[in-house]
Amino acid sequence: MLHYIGNRLLIAVPLLVAVSFVAFLLSSLSPSDPAEVVLHAQGVPGITEGLIAETRAALGMDRPLLMRYGDWLLSAVRFDFGDSYITGKPVWSLLGPAFLHTLTLTLVSAAVIMALSVVLGVVCALHEGKPTDRAVRGLAFLLTAMPPYWLAALLVWFFSVKLDLLPTNGMDDGYRSFILPVAVLAIGYAGIYFRNIRSAMLGNLNEDYVLYGRASGLPERKITLRILRNSLQVAVSVFGMAVPIILGSTVVVENLFAWPGLGTLSVKSILSRDFPIIQAYVLVLAVAFVAFNTLSDIVNAALNPKLRRER
Amino acid sequence: MNKSILFLLSILIVAVLALAGCGNDAKNDAKNNANGEASDKALVYATSKDINDMNPHLYAGSIPAQGMVFESLVENTKDGIKPSLAESWDISEDGKTYTFHLRQGVVFHDGAPFDAEAAKLNIDAVQANASKHAWIKLSTKIVSVDVVDTYTIKLALSEPYYPTLLELAMTRPYAFLSPRDFKNGGTKDGVIGYHGTGPYQLAEHQAEQYATFTSNEHYWNGAPKIKRITAKVLPAGETTFLALQKGEVNFIFTDDRGADSIDVASMTQLTDSGDYRLVRSEPMNTKMLAANSGSANSPIRERAVREAIWYSVDRETIGRDIFGGTEKPADALFSPNVNYADIELPKRAYDPEKAATMLTDAGWIAGKDGEVRTKNGVKLNLKLYYDANSPSQKTQAEFIQSTVGEIGVGLALVGEASASIASRRASGDYDLLFNQTWGLAYDPLSTIAAFTSEAAYLHTTEGMANAQDLYAKIDAVTVSADETARRSLYGEILKSVHDEAVFIPLTHGNVTVVAPRDLQGIAFKQTQYELPFEQMYFE
Amino acid sequence: MKLLRQLCRDRFAALCLCFLTLVAAAGLLAPLLAPHDPTAVQMALRYAPPSASYWLGNDHLGRCVLSRILYGIRPSFLWVLVALALSVAIGAVVGFLAGYCRGWTDAVLMRICDVMLSFPGYVMTLAVIGILGVGLDNILIAFALMKWAWFARVIRTSVMQFADADYVKFSRTLGVGHVRIMFKHILPVALPDIAVISSSAFGSMILQISGFSFLGLGIQAPNAEWGMMLSEARSVMFSRPELMLAPGVAIVLVVSAVNFLSDALQTALDPKLFASRRETRPGLAAAAARPGREVA
Repeated sequence: MLHYIGNRLLIAVPLLVAVSFVAFLLSSLSPSDPAEVVLHAQGVPGITEGLIAETRAALGMDRPLLMRYGDWLLSAVRFDFGDSYITGKPVWSLLGPAFLHTLTLTLVSAAVIMALSVVLGVVCALHEGKPTDRAVRGLAFLLTAMPPYWLAALLVWFFSVKLDLLPTNGMDDGYRSFILPVAVLAIGYAGIYFRNIRSAMLGNLNEDYVLYGRASGLPERKITLRILRNSLQVAVSVFGMAVPIILGSTVVVENLFAWPGLGTLSVKSILSRDFPIIQAYVLVLAVAFVAFNTLSDIVNAALNPKLRRER
Repeated sequence: MNKSILFLLSILIVAVLALAGCGNDAKNDAKNNANGEASDKALVYATSKDINDMNPHLYAGSIPAQGMVFESLVENTKDGIKPSLAESWDISEDGKTYTFHLRQGVVFHDGAPFDAEAAKLNIDAVQANASKHAWIKLSTKIVSVDVVDTYTIKLALSEPYYPTLLELAMTRPYAFLSPRDFKNGGTKDGVIGYHGTGPYQLAEHQAEQYATFTSNEHYWNGAPKIKRITAKVLPAGETTFLALQKGEVNFIFTDDRGADSIDVASMTQLTDSGDYRLVRSEPMNTKMLAANSGSANSPIRERAVREAIWYSVDRETIGRDIFGGTEKPADALFSPNVNYADIELPKRAYDPEKAATMLTDAGWIAGKDGEVRTKNGVKLNLKLYYDANSPSQKTQAEFIQSTVGEIGVGLALVGEASASIASRRASGDYDLLFNQTWGLAYDPLSTIAAFTSEAAYLHTTEGMANAQDLYAKIDAVTVSADETARRSLYGEILKSVHDEAVFIPLTHGNVTVVAPRDLQGIAFKQTQYELPFEQMYFE
Repeated sequence: MKLLRQLCRDRFAALCLCFLTLVAAAGLLAPLLAPHDPTAVQMALRYAPPSASYWLGNDHLGRCVLSRILYGIRPSFLWVLVALALSVAIGAVVGFLAGYCRGWTDAVLMRICDVMLSFPGYVMTLAVIGILGVGLDNILIAFALMKWAWFARVIRTSVMQFADADYVKFSRTLGVGHVRIMFKHILPVALPDIAVISSSAFGSMILQISGFSFLGLGIQAPNAEWGMMLSEARSVMFSRPELMLAPGVAIVLVVSAVNFLSDALQTALDPKLFASRRETRPGLAAAAARPGREVA
């Protein structure tokens, strides 16, 4: 197991380096000269060719790409992403708290998704082909096809305004703030993941141990429990997969609910062309994505020794 | 297990019901929510951007918030300049020395005394960062600030400057911050706290979420009645509307970029519900499109193009349909009731045919039906930047896009955050953008001074045929002591920007407040950037 | 073709396919079908209810909602299809090369895929919009840039299966060129796999692109797009809820049809694969395509 973990971590390191390089390169994708952008952002009057060259030198942009990358990486490791163009504050002072807020939302949502997927998956598997199964699958189908913002608007209107039960936005109302954003995220993803659990259960239903158990007269409840236990593994891996994916896809939901997370921050930064934040955002999320994937691989391997041998 | 199915089912049913029932009784059900907030005497206003860095000597902060916390020496009111932190003042014969007698016993929120020393430190801190304040001409005229005694300071100017008091009255930069908050003896490298002398003090700030202000119980003019004001960051439009309906926020007002966070129909809906009331100020400014006449290669540098756009904007319809009749169409940069602006200027009423003729005459050849005009292979394509947080600007932009499209002008719309639009205006990276004059306290003086400022309208005006002549007149007008000379200079300045059509007026904007029904004392200042929160109270 | 025939046995799937074909055709023929110019502003008809000449009513600028829905098919559906085709094409080339050539070509290509897959989809798209600017074209570029890696992964796996098949080995010993082998022997058998994975990505791409337009980062006015129509309707969702209905229903219908079709494709292809393939759902791309992550 340790060997596997070591291996997995070793794979992650070059990946992280490569990912950070891509994030770094993004800035050179920009059609406008970064030096000019910086000057504009600082509101410097009368930009001349000479001034641009000077700024390029000051920003170190006349040096070779790899050296610049090295410097950038070194400061990024220390959470130094420079200052925001718009507010002048250090990027991390904005990004850090936002990242935590998004992470909280993600973890809560993933937990709900897992619970919902397991319950629905098991229920459907046990009632395979019966009306319950069909109804749930049909409903999930419809809900996953719904644009999340549409769903969100309806839920807010109903639960917050009409029933006056929940806040319409923000995250300063304790657990109640979480309910609607989590519901919107969970409905979208649970509709996808519960099918995994269902298939896993169905697969298990035909396994030898089930047939054997039935043949030897084991009570049906015990068999179901056994199947359930085996399927929980699937649930854990679903959770592992869901976390990094949701982490990167909260954009729409955050903007709808004015959630002070990365999604809101990134859209705001795009609309105000605050490049340092955009770049740091990409890097931070990509790193988190790699980290969570690695983590979930390791957890999966720990649960399922078969996986360790592959790769 | 059946519960979860029920849960999902109920959500779907809710969704269907919601769509079916929307609109009918939303208003009735939200009843009393707004008043729930009212009972604990707090105001929560929605704003699309964070209060940001509140340093009163710089420009990043939200002006309404700065206005609550910081004060200036004098105040600009309907009846002229009135005392604020200075109780009285004397102006020397030659107009070059101003002596201010400061109000005694005023303390900053952190307990530091406001005295001549603190006042001098503040003004010096502003002067130490002169390049940022070029738009405010006073910053270039101040020679020195001297402490005469504990409560008297003397301001020495290089030459007489008639708008001195007006500019000292502005929310920033000549506002006063506790010297204990200074960093490295100044404010240009940032500050460590935001302690002013105003009626409210900043109590808590969660960046990009909310900021809470509590009343200053030691305020020299009596503690304000509303003890707590929260600025909550919310995206404009329906999120704000829902929050208002539910009472999570109970106050909105036109922001410092002239953007209302909800549209006129939503406002009407809120007031119809009985929980809110709507208060509009008198027209305060002119909303307009600023055209980048200084652009190096965009068609907008041609006067004919700018004029044609002016002729093809249907301002009547904008005022009537988009603003529901709440804003009147504007025919010139300043409404005639603005000082010095009561002059005869030719009107350019909506006349698409005339616009088309003008373009053809200027060499822009019309394409086949509906196509964009061209001249020497260059297409008549322009970009219009609007504030993505203003629903009404987007609608206006789309409307203008369609009417100028009919005369063969291709207008691309780009929605951005207001900060980004401001930086485009400063760097000249635009063709057309939404803007507004700066309001009664600043018009025409500061708005016109800003014609020459890189941070403001330099790019808008620099491509005018007689730009240098214009700039000379602007320099002359602020130092001219003679009222008749001033009047005639302002007249010439206004006529030339009108003729060159660099500012395309749309409507006369006002400050609109949506407040809880029982909130009294809602008034307006001479500026569109602040509200006198300290005068408000619940009945 | 066999796949198609098989698919048509499932009557509902056939219905979905017909529907989507009709939608695509309507999008292509929008200028002929639309009763009005979708960008014609008529302030007098602001928020007018449905009428004989405007079947779905008029929006906040008095534009014909029906015409805008029809024209909206182009960015919301057809352009997504183009982006999808593009990324599948890139993915197919890379996947074929990697799966067929193996060795270091494979290693290098797959490492590049690893890197690309380390960026969550939304994040990369936001980054591209952030740097190149707001607009539909940039989102489509971002989509093509992002999704190919995932397709490459899956296609590589399926190519590897067939590259070892006896008839391929046989052709190789006969001295048939590599390109010819790929086109003649491997492409046809890998095609169903490609169809399945691309169809399963399609639905979520439609939702994503409408989401970006909804946030104001996508298509720019005056062009019609369903996400943007919803966003415009949202500001009046209490006074004019019906405006949210048409674009919302359009999205739900199309995405449902696409998802159902994708399911049916998988079932038609290999009912047994259903369980394990199902997880290669769009958002799951990165995780699912990784070897050793088969769930069931």
